[in-house]
Amino acid sequence: MNLASYRKKSPWILHYNAGGCNGCDIEILACLGPKYDIERFGMINTGNPKQSDILLVTGPVTKRSRERLVEIYAQMPEPKVVVSCGACACTGGVFRGMYNCEGGVDQYIPVDVYVCGCGTRPEQIIDGVVQALGILEQKTKAMEVSVRLQKEPLKEEGQINRRNIADQIKPALS
Amino acid sequence: MGRQYEIPIGAQHISLLEPLHFKFTTENEKIVATEANVYYVHRGIEQACCSKFKFRQVSFVVGRVCGLCSISHTTAYSQVAEKLLKIEIPLRAKYLRMLVIELDRIHSHLLCLSHVAENSGFEALFMKTMQYREFSMELLEAVCGNRIQYDFSIVGGVARDLKPQVAQSILERLKKFIPQLDELMDIYKNNWTLSLKNKGAGAITKEDAMRLNVVGPFARAAGLAIDVRNETEDLLPWKEVGFEMITETSGDVYARNMVRLRELYVSIRIIENIINGLPESALITETKAFPDGEATVRLEAPRGELFYYAKGNKTQILERLKIKAPTFSNVAAMAEAFTGNEYGSAPAIIASYDPCLSCTAR
Repeated sequence: MNLASYRKKSPWILHYNAGGCNGCDIEILACLGPKYDIERFGMINTGNPKQSDILLVTGPVTKRSRERLVEIYAQMPEPKVVVSCGACACTGGVFRGMYNCEGGVDQYIPVDVYVCGCGTRPEQIIDGVVQALGILEQKTKAMEVSVRLQKEPLKEEGQINRRNIADQIKPALS
Repeated sequence: MGRQYEIPIGAQHISLLEPLHFKFTTENEKIVATEANVYYVHRGIEQACCSKFKFRQVSFVVGRVCGLCSISHTTAYSQVAEKLLKIEIPLRAKYLRMLVIELDRIHSHLLCLSHVAENSGFEALFMKTMQYREFSMELLEAVCGNRIQYDFSIVGGVARDLKPQVAQSILERLKKFIPQLDELMDIYKNNWTLSLKNKGAGAITKEDAMRLNVVGPFARAAGLAIDVRNETEDLLPWKEVGFEMITETSGDVYARNMVRLRELYVSIRIIENIINGLPESALITETKAFPDGEATVRLEAPRGELFYYAKGNKTQILERLKIKAPTFSNVAAMAEAFTGNEYGSAPAIIASYDPCLSCTAR
């Protein structure tokens, strides 16, 4: 069984509040509820960074939570996608310039999808995570290519030949 | 005397909505001591309100202190600013503020109840409560224009009027909600499985609650009749619209659930009374004065007593703004009430406190 092909069908999400006002967090909780129900995309909320694929971050990053944020990101296995939910997670929002805040999540970890709004609507969150699914698929493909490069070098007459290797991986990348 | 282990929960955990850290010292699964660490989300809002923002903008900033009770924060700030400006707001604005505070209380209490059910391991009840909660979010969107972060109260009055068809739809939806609330009440009260996790867990006595300055549903579940709506009549006329004190005696998770559910009936009655007797007047009192002097305001947020202090010096920028949130009063009792419980029931107890740390840390 190929794990990568099933990852798209069931991405697990991890939620971390990096100092926000709880507004976006309760909207994420509302997404898990019956009305919006992101479980139909196969997503469930998991508390364990080591099992999750999509990281939902809310809030401007406060100075005390930034180490936790970077550590959680580092613990997630590749491929991983970061979705920043809410105006303050994207840019700092109304908290930008306050003495204990930084302007947004992307100063510390790479962000793939920005979801705007204060507070973010559940429809927007669903739109963001569905976009994240596409990015997750691209990242999975890119990872497979690099694995193929390492594992299957072309051999001609017992010697490794890398001359035409770029042409062969080009269709896989596109 | 067994061996003691230290088990941490947080700052990131599946049962927590926000970064919160508890360090439990356990002995054979029993919790013997707890250390709470709540200031992960300190942003420095008070300092920014006194330096960066003008006093009319501050009501939008303090709404972002907390997304769950943002209307309580904006209303409390508006009231304290009105005291500094020495103006009286129109009667209709007062009633509309009470209406949105009570709608907010419904959604906040139902969120807390669903979270208790989830952390007790009752996923189906979590889904059911979240489903029944959605109507309050829709009504809040219809009244204020946004699902969360309403920015409804502004200095001098309210930002939007209540349209007659919206008022009608609120009454209709509440009528539909009452049988659903009866159903929830039945489950939370009589479900045997849930009672195993909830009855007797996280109990606190009335004397301890008094000694540790507990406020809100946490105190009322222990038998302390503390509610700001019962004490202050000068700013918002609570008793006129049918406020009633709800108390329980046992002080455990079960009692907190019961207090929240019974308060929902009171909230529904208050909303119906407000809509049926809404007075006609202007929405906002205009003034060109600047804030001067000192003032304090107390308001009952969904989690308990919210306290605002402000000091003005006849300029656009306030000199000092102090916010004391309900959870800040409860932290000492939160650590105390774990003692003697099983470690396994800790998530349900945390959820039943309904902690709001972004309020606490500001």
